Amino acid sequence: MTETKQPLLTMRNVSKAFGHVQALIDVDLDVAPGEVMGLLGDNGAGKSTLIKILSGVYHADEGEFTRDGAPAAIAGPGDAQALGIATVYQDLALVETRAVAHNIYLGREPRRWGMLSRRKMEKDAETLLKNLNINLPSVKVDVEVLSGGQRQAVAISRALAQGGDILLLDEPTAALGVEQTEQVHHLVGSMRDQGKSIILITHDLSDVLKVADRIVVLRQGRLWADARAADIDINQIIGWITGALPSRFGAKEAQA
Amino acid sequence: MTTRPALFRDPAAFLTGFFKNRDWTIPGLILTLILLMVFFGAQSEFFWSVSNFLNIGRSISIRGVIAIGLTIVLISGGLDLSIAAVAAVAGMVAAMLIDAGMNGIPAGLIGLAAAMVLGAVNGSVVVRLRINPIIATLATLLLFRGMAYVVSGGDNIVIGVNTWAFLGRGNLFGVPVALLVMLGIMAAGILFMRYSVLGNYLYAIGGNSEACRNVGVKVDRIRFGTYMGTALLSGIAGVILMSQGGTAQPSALNGAELDIFTSVLLGGVALTGGRGSLFGTLLGLFIVGVITNGFILIGLQIYWQDVARGVILIVAVALDSLRRGGGYR
Repeated sequence: MTETKQPLLTMRNVSKAFGHVQALIDVDLDVAPGEVMGLLGDNGAGKSTLIKILSGVYHADEGEFTRDGAPAAIAGPGDAQALGIATVYQDLALVETRAVAHNIYLGREPRRWGMLSRRKMEKDAETLLKNLNINLPSVKVDVEVLSGGQRQAVAISRALAQGGDILLLDEPTAALGVEQTEQVHHLVGSMRDQGKSIILITHDLSDVLKVADRIVVLRQGRLWADARAADIDINQIIGWITGALPSRFGAKEAQA
Repeated sequence: MTTRPALFRDPAAFLTGFFKNRDWTIPGLILTLILLMVFFGAQSEFFWSVSNFLNIGRSISIRGVIAIGLTIVLISGGLDLSIAAVAAVAGMVAAMLIDAGMNGIPAGLIGLAAAMVLGAVNGSVVVRLRINPIIATLATLLLFRGMAYVVSGGDNIVIGVNTWAFLGRGNLFGVPVALLVMLGIMAAGILFMRYSVLGNYLYAIGGNSEACRNVGVKVDRIRFGTYMGTALLSGIAGVILMSQGGTAQPSALNGAELDIFTSVLLGGVALTGGRGSLFGTLLGLFIVGVITNGFILIGLQIYWQDVARGVILIVAVALDSLRRGGGYR
């Protein structure tokens, strides 16, 4: 079914080396509209490198990108944003002493006669949060009084307010408790329902099967597996991550 | 699961939010001010009089102008210890030019320009060389204060009544012009910090400069600007002070940093940045002004006044850390 839709974003033969270390080797990946992709892999598998290339922090040594079928280049964070890619990093980068609305529109505040339009900013923030089914006491409260899940929601809202439709979430639930994790997963689901594509980096294998439509495993810098979440179980994922199961793409173990 | 989970609805968090987000700083300051006024009013029959209130207003106007700059620099996560020294240099430059025969208006403006050059020095050392602002501006405090002594040869420059005298000595409708200037800048500053995008960035930078950089806010440029702005305000204070006494002293406002810091911290500005308001600073100025005035009226000996100031400074800093301790960390 996904094959019939044009991918939002494609990557072909993406490689990146740091000195002698090949962090990514010939990775091909398509991002389909309205899907949640769980991006998995052991430490050093290349997940972070891939995310940083997509968000424009690193520049790929080789590889081609397309956006909606048209060739695209990602030379910096500005390019990534122009391509609709928004990233929520693990540390969230929120200003804790400022209100939710200020955080969501930080750097892109609505203005009126050159001045901050606080009322519009707060109204827009409320609408945005409402559309995502996010419940906060008020958009006027400072981020520092929010729970971890609420903060994650604010950070995600900011990424969406930047106008992205491809969202990269870096370990969004790593620091959260069970209930808060549930809340973030729910939020991921409602973003997908709105047609956003989400790439979810995580270590939590049981959770990712619940929320993701598709599981992509990197191993030693190579694309090791790419499967529909409904077709696989947690043991297969573990097998791919550890290398106990062979690559679905014929990638070989690196020579130790 | 058919029902939507009570998403992000967390009663405990909501209650903490409700109480923590009521900011008690401003009401607390107003109450403190009222209590102090009632206390000193009971102690001295001269306290509650228009002329005494104008005295208090006059006494806080020059320090108040400097406190506005310090507030802004602290909110943006910076620090400037050289504020009073910059004021001394600005007054000294203006007075020496007037003494040399220059018209008062260009002389005063050159004094302000000199202050901004010193602000650029502060900004460069902190922003470009990335030196901790405590050390950086402690060094420039010595440097600028030393310059004031060097250029004047250690002497006071006496110029008498001059073009700027109305600033320091004049009254408008019976109110000291210096006080009006301070209140005017204060009002403009309050509007700027609340309604301008830049003012909001100052708060955001003080809260998390990295987050601001991520979204493209020109953090370094803005920080540099805060040191320039603070220096300009100090320069204005220096010129007012020079015109008030008709004299410029290299030791002008020496030690006034402490009173200014006390007022600002008492007013709820956090040493760690991102928190506070100019209105709080205004209240802090009045509290320190009322206490100083009250002590004089009740005849407290001068060295006890220093003791009291030290205690108030400790209280101000303790309140600052209490506010943060009650916060998220």
